[in-house]
Amino acid sequence: MSSLPILELRAVGKSYGANRVLKGIDLAVTRGEIVSLIGPSGSGKTTALRCMNFLEAYDEGEVWIKGQLLGYRSAGRSERDRDSEKSVAEVRRPVSMVFQQFNLWPHMTVLGNVAAPLVLSKKTTKADAHKQALAALTRVGLAGKADAYPTSLSGGQQQRVGIARALAIEPEVMLLDEPTSALDPELVEEVLSVIRSLAQDGMTMVMVTHEMSFAAKISDHVVFMEAGQIVEAGPPEQIFGNTRTPRLQQFLKPWFDRSLTSVAGVA
Amino acid sequence: MNPPDLLARCLGYLPQLLDGAITTLWLSAIAVACGFFAGIFIYMMSASKSRTLAAAARVYVSIFRGTPVLAQLLVFYYVPSGLGWAIPGVVAAAVGLSMNTAAYQSQILGTGFIAIPRGQIEAAQTFNLTRRQTLWHVEIPQVVALTLPALVSEMIDIVKASAVVSVIAVTDLMRVGQQLSSVSYRPLEVYTLAACFYLAITSLLSLAGRGIERRVARRA
Amino acid sequence: MNSFLSLIPRFAEAILVTLEVSLLAAFIGALGGFALNALRLRFPRWLAGPYRVYVWLVRGTPYLSQLVIVYFGLPVIGITMTAVQATIVSLAFYSAAYFAEIFRAGWASIPRGHMEAARAFGISRWSAFRSIEMPQAIAFAIPLLANQTILVIKESAVASIITVPELTMTASDIVASTYTYIAPYAMLIVCYWLLTQCIAVAARWAQALITPSRKTS
Repeated sequence: MSSLPILELRAVGKSYGANRVLKGIDLAVTRGEIVSLIGPSGSGKTTALRCMNFLEAYDEGEVWIKGQLLGYRSAGRSERDRDSEKSVAEVRRPVSMVFQQFNLWPHMTVLGNVAAPLVLSKKTTKADAHKQALAALTRVGLAGKADAYPTSLSGGQQQRVGIARALAIEPEVMLLDEPTSALDPELVEEVLSVIRSLAQDGMTMVMVTHEMSFAAKISDHVVFMEAGQIVEAGPPEQIFGNTRTPRLQQFLKPWFDRSLTSVAGVA
Repeated sequence: MNPPDLLARCLGYLPQLLDGAITTLWLSAIAVACGFFAGIFIYMMSASKSRTLAAAARVYVSIFRGTPVLAQLLVFYYVPSGLGWAIPGVVAAAVGLSMNTAAYQSQILGTGFIAIPRGQIEAAQTFNLTRRQTLWHVEIPQVVALTLPALVSEMIDIVKASAVVSVIAVTDLMRVGQQLSSVSYRPLEVYTLAACFYLAITSLLSLAGRGIERRVARRA
Repeated sequence: MNSFLSLIPRFAEAILVTLEVSLLAAFIGALGGFALNALRLRFPRWLAGPYRVYVWLVRGTPYLSQLVIVYFGLPVIGITMTAVQATIVSLAFYSAAYFAEIFRAGWASIPRGHMEAARAFGISRWSAFRSIEMPQAIAFAIPLLANQTILVIKESAVASIITVPELTMTASDIVASTYTYIAPYAMLIVCYWLLTQCIAVAARWAQALITPSRKTS
């Protein structure tokens, strides 16, 4: 198995004016790996995720996708080196994203939402796009809702449509930005089980989440961020069972207290 | 005044008035359509990061909304001919009306654009839709649905504003009225009949607008 | 540039005519609209229908068509007016419908609770109206009233068609007699633009005067 990372961040930094939100993030994600980003609000984990598909333009360091530099023409990093829209699109083609607020397009049907990126960006024919979209919807268990409009669906269903939309373009990496944070508690499990099944099928994922048990169970690698920096990173057994840094211990304490099942026996 | 004679005379005016009404209608339709696209363009200018573009858009809107349509049409008709380039009245009318309504539509459509959650645009970006695709497939359908009542109102305003093109030699409904009344020496009848034509057009537009509004609302 | 500046005297006169005609018509129209609305509220059953028909007719037809009916059509049944009179009458009649709608919306926008609270504290109907409803209605209405005045000024350009010596007519006159096109029409646009901007600024200023007093109460 090639150990060349499919997605890599090297000393990535980002500032908003005088406010430095990311301070040198290093991360390497290999194919098939599931990486979870955890940390308190304001730690920069969502910003880091959004740099991975250039939704945010990072201003220090480099983001590499399948060996290609994302967003800039060379490792120079000034405004002048910013890549054209077309090149950025090319480099981030293998990456798709699932959003906390779903971000479905309300004037299109569910099928329309899932097929749109195929038709418009990948230039698939409408017939093929519909077929692939329907397959993706079946994968998340919503084939029956293909002709419905997003506003008539529950939050959990809408997020599953969002996942189908991200799946339909056959990505090699999926980014998930707190996929269940906007859901009512009873709807969280249906989305988590879809994510779990995608993980079992070998999808590479980077996920920002507050669902600690879930992160503990499915991740290969967990990264704890605070104040724009990676404080501790490692396999779940270490992060949740054998925490090294006091800051992380403090962060995880409420979760430890709440969970009844033993965490060290993560399997 | 003899009712049967009156009726006969009015029926006699009808064909020409109808011709004039058709001119009014297609002139207004052209203005609405061109104004729609121009309005989107002006809105994008006003929302652009370039301060010059944004300022230019503001100036444009301010001038076209702050001066009478008639004055604008006179400029578009007579200034080119003063510079040696004679423009047919119809062209000047179409250009003038389009530019006028573009200023208003840019404001109307702008309220729709602002209402679209940023996340939807980000999703489009993530899936590599081009700026134009995002505009056309994600934003515009929603903007139109959101601003439909105001757009219909603006369409009605254009039909009414078009009456002044009669001044720059366009044979619209109003001009036909002027011609008929000078030939028949019966201005009250003719002008009232012409006014009824306008009333019919604006009322139908109003009804159609409310019908479309209801259909769009049912979908939401 | 010289030819541009030399036009100023004539245009200054024309501005006065435009303002006279427009402001007079707007004033009459505003009073008329206010009265119409008040009457409509007082006699809803009699006046609701006619009111709606009047608004429909006036707002459904171009102002130009109303002007020519008044100036060219009415003499047929014995009512003759000068061009200026016809303009003021028709413009007042036209704008009154819009003003009436503005006042109607203004009335409807006042929260009912304020009046009820006042009555509960024993404040008489008239003082309650004066100190509670009226200021709110006015503050609400100022931008709309100013906007309507601006619309009246813009519509007044149409009077040039029946040779009222206002701005547009003056510009066209100068063009016809001097065969210059750019300077007169440029001046025309500038004059109207200045007029409308002044009214808009005055309205913002007037509203700023009224609003702070609302905040302290």
